[in-house]
Order: sequence, then C-alpha cells, then structure tokens
Amino acid sequence: MENNLVLEMPSPTVKNGEWSMQIRNLKIAFDTPKGEFVAVKNINLNVKQGEIISIIGHSGCGKSTILNAIGGFIKPAKGEVLLSGQPVKGPGPDRGFVFQHYSLLPWFSVYKNIFEAVDSVLKKVSKEEKKQIVERYINAVGLASHKHKLPSEISGGMKQRVAIARAFAINPKYLLLDEPFGALDALTKSSMHIELLKLWNMDNRSKTILMVTHDIEEAIFLSDRIVVMTNGPAATIREIVEVNLQRPRNKKEIAHEPEYIRTRDHLISLLMDKVSILDYKK
Amino acid sequence: MKPATSLSHTLKGHTIIRVAIAYKLLAERKLSKIFGTKFVRLLKAMLAMTHQGVQSSLLALVGFLLLCVVWHLISWFTKEELPGPVATLKVLTQMLSNPFYDNGPNDKGIAIQLWYSMIRVFTGFGIGTLIAIPLGILIGSQPIIKKILYPIVNVLKPVSPLAWFPIGLAAFKSAPNATIFIIYITSLWPTLINTAFGVASIPQDHKNVARAFGFSRYKYLTKILIPYTLPHIITGLRLSIGVAWLVIVAGEMLSGGTGIGFFVWDSWNALSLEKVISAILIIGIIGLLFDKLFTSLEKLFAYGK
Repeated sequence: MENNLVLEMPSPTVKNGEWSMQIRNLKIAFDTPKGEFVAVKNINLNVKQGEIISIIGHSGCGKSTILNAIGGFIKPAKGEVLLSGQPVKGPGPDRGFVFQHYSLLPWFSVYKNIFEAVDSVLKKVSKEEKKQIVERYINAVGLASHKHKLPSEISGGMKQRVAIARAFAINPKYLLLDEPFGALDALTKSSMHIELLKLWNMDNRSKTILMVTHDIEEAIFLSDRIVVMTNGPAATIREIVEVNLQRPRNKKEIAHEPEYIRTRDHLISLLMDKVSILDYKK
Repeated sequence: MKPATSLSHTLKGHTIIRVAIAYKLLAERKLSKIFGTKFVRLLKAMLAMTHQGVQSSLLALVGFLLLCVVWHLISWFTKEELPGPVATLKVLTQMLSNPFYDNGPNDKGIAIQLWYSMIRVFTGFGIGTLIAIPLGILIGSQPIIKKILYPIVNVLKPVSPLAWFPIGLAAFKSAPNATIFIIYITSLWPTLINTAFGVASIPQDHKNVARAFGFSRYKYLTKILIPYTLPHIITGLRLSIGVAWLVIVAGEMLSGGTGIGFFVWDSWNALSLEKVISAILIIGIIGLLFDKLFTSLEKLFAYGK
C-alpha cells in the first residue's frame, strides 16, 4: 500500500546499504545504594535500514534496557546509539515503541488511542488526513469493528494489535518492540507475527524493526539477524546469528528446512548450557 | 439448618410446588420468547436488586425505629427536658410546611436559611477547589515543590475552622465573608491531598506513552494527567464538601445573621430544642445527599478499573 505521510524529522542521510542504526560500545548502569549496577556493557551493533533484528536472552540480561536506550528513555553510562548518524538524546517520533504491557490509555477507545498518537506526531497533517491514517491502520490490524471499544473491553491480542497499529501509524523509521507477544497464547502469537510482517510489507519493508523476545521460534521466523545476549548482570552480546531463510516465510514449511533446524539448534545451544535433565545428573 | 433443607426437600417433592415451578418456568420461557432472553435476564437481575434494596431499606428503618425508641426513653427519663420524637416531628412538619416565609432579620423559613448556607458552602468550596486542584497537580508532579509545600500543608491541615475565624474577620471585615473564608481554608485540604496523590501515582506506562509519542505539555495534561487523576480528584471533592458542610454550622453560629448554623443557635436562644433537633436531622440528610452525589460521580469516572 502506498504511504504518503510526511514526517517532520531531520532528513535522513542514509543511502541504501549504509547503517541505519549504530550502537557503539554501549554501557548502561544504574546507581543503587550498594553502588553501580551494570546492566549491559560492550554492546556493538550495526543495523541496516529495513532489517528485522531480534534481541534474545534470559530474563535479566538487559535486553529491554538496550531497547529503552535506543528509545531514548534511559541515558547510557558510556558509548552511544546513532540513528541515521545522529546520537539519541531522548524519545522521538522517528521511533515507534511497542511496550511490554501494551500501554494503551484506558479512558480512550481503540480509535482515540491511535488518533492521539498520530495527532501528536504528525503536526502538519490536516485532521481529515489524520483520521484516514488512523482508519487505515485500524483496518490493517483487523480491528474495524472494535474501534469504539475501550481497552478493558478487548482481549490481550487485540490490545497488542492496537499498540502495534499505533506504533506504525506515526510512520516511524524504527520500530522498537519490547517483548510484544510475551503475554499472548501460542495461537494468537502466530497470527500476530503475520500481522506484524503485513504492516512491515505495507511500507515496502523500509522500516527497521528491533524486537526483544525470549521465544526462539518467534525470533527465527521474524528476524534477519538474532542478537544473543550473555546472562546478566553486566551482560553483553554473545553472538549475532544470521537467519538465512528466504522471505516471505511460511510458518508451516519453514520448520522443516535444514537451515531453520540448524539455526534453532544453534540458538538453543547458545542459550542453554544444559539442554536435557540428564545433564544435571553429574 | 438441617430441618429447613429437609422441609424444602419435601416441599419440592410436593405436587402443588412442582406444578408451580413448572408454571414459573413456562412463564419465563414465554416471556423470553416475547421479549428475548436478555430482557428476562435483566428483569430477573432488577428484581433481585430491588429485593436487596427493599431488604436494606427495611433494615435501615429498623435502625431508625430503635433510635426513636432510645430517644423517646431519654426524653421520658429527663421529663421531656429533651423533646421526644413526636414533639419534634410536629415542629419539623410545621417548619417544612412553610419553608419560605420571611418575617424580618431574625425570623425566616428553613429553606431560606438553608439557601444562605448553601451559597456560602459552595462559594468557599468553589474557591477552595479552584486553588486545591492546580496546587495539587503541581505538588503531585514536582517532587521539589512537594518537599517545599507539604510541611506547610501538614501544619495548616489540622487547624480547627474556628481558629481561622478571627483571621477571616480581620482580613474581610465582615462576618459572612469570614464564614466563607473558614470554609475555603478547611475544605481545601482533602481535594489538594487527593489530587497530589493521584498525580503522583500516574503509572510510568502512561508517562512513557506521552514521551514516546511526543505529547505536548497540554496534551499530556488533558489526555493523560486529568483523565487518570479525575477519580482521585472527585474523591477529594467528596471529602471536601463533607468538611465544608461540617464547618458551615460552626461558622454561622459565630457569624450570626442568616444560615442554618444561625438558625440552630437562634432556636437554642429561643429555647426550642425541637427546632434544634429538626435542624440536626435536616443537616444530616443534606450532608448525606452531598456524599451520595459525589459517590455517584466517582462511579461515573472510574474507567473500567
């Protein structure tokens, strides 16, 4: 689908093939009564425009922390995040954020939740156009018949659809998804993966997507590359795994491909030192 | 309990009961066919609710009857120095039958006195609200301002309204305005504290939405802060109007002239305890109505919580 939104941002200077996002020597630490707590350190990552990257690791390994730093919600202790060559100074509308807990405003309908975000970001667009944008994204995630409902009246999967539609509707260059499907059941999760890729295709795969997850199969199905973290605290990147599977990928067929099985086994061995209860005997 | 269950068991087995139950089911089915199952379910729920309502009002009535009995006994023991329920009711009906008469400064109908009081209560409460809500938002959102102002709030909050009265007189040189002043300064605190608490408890999730989507200050205020805080504010208002209604009687007793407080004092001077007790009843019922009004507002603005 054509996308003719105009965004007010510093004009992107990245040509095709150049890095759209660079994370350089990133270290994030928090002050605690017991002294400095290092969440992550030595993070280096370069991302091309239109790539889908997953960050995977055990809980407490600082995956969300990295995403929050890219989002501009926390300041790094060392190093920097560059977006199109510009260092991140705070949150901005060039990044669409999908929060772990949906973060919809409970007093607004589905429609209003998306509209307020669009209204806030696209300042120069007429009200009529804003309405059209909101309608388009509500339709894209299949919530047309629920648009006047409050978040408390829809299911978790629907709430996450609204959150994703809201993030896409402001037409950001980057999408940052913080364990977006973690709270959903397996069936809903699968349909949400398709939903996400549909929206990504809608914009000619031009948006760069960074997603935090702890689901190996989800990471393989969606990503071009998977960043595997070591265990926290003071976690860092253990390995970056390429996923060499053709797009569009088919959920049913992909599972039988040798490349899929190889990648999955590799990820499992990276994430779990002990893969069977038999290993615990000694 | 055992005999009761066995009794109902035998009754259920009884032919007449069986027939009655069958008829009831048949009637329900017919109604469902005519009006739809949803309607019948609603009707049943409403019936159950009215049943509960009737039950609790009956119990409340029992309570009031008990109060009347105790009251009557006290009146009887004190040889009617405290007027009994019957004598009071006679005076109360007299007061309510002609509530709007006006025979000069010291002799006005109860409705006129209440009207004066209401105007003072709502003026004081209104000014208090206009100051308490913005100040509460400021205190709730800026920890530094909270640290500066909260100690002052904590010192001024427990001060009796009567202690403020001379300050009001000195400032406004008028007793009725001093009454409004003491209502304002004592009904301020619950709204202020509740607003500040509400604002301070806005979840980080909501704040992150505002930051991620670059909400302007105005948008944050109107689309996140106020909608989230509104239930807290209304709770504050409910407590504040309660305080204002408490203070008005004391204030008007001091200031004199008009109002329900003056009416109570004037009735005491005229040695009519019947009037005093009638006024107490009226004050209590109006206070209850204020409370109910704000409670229903609270329910209206509690978004799916």
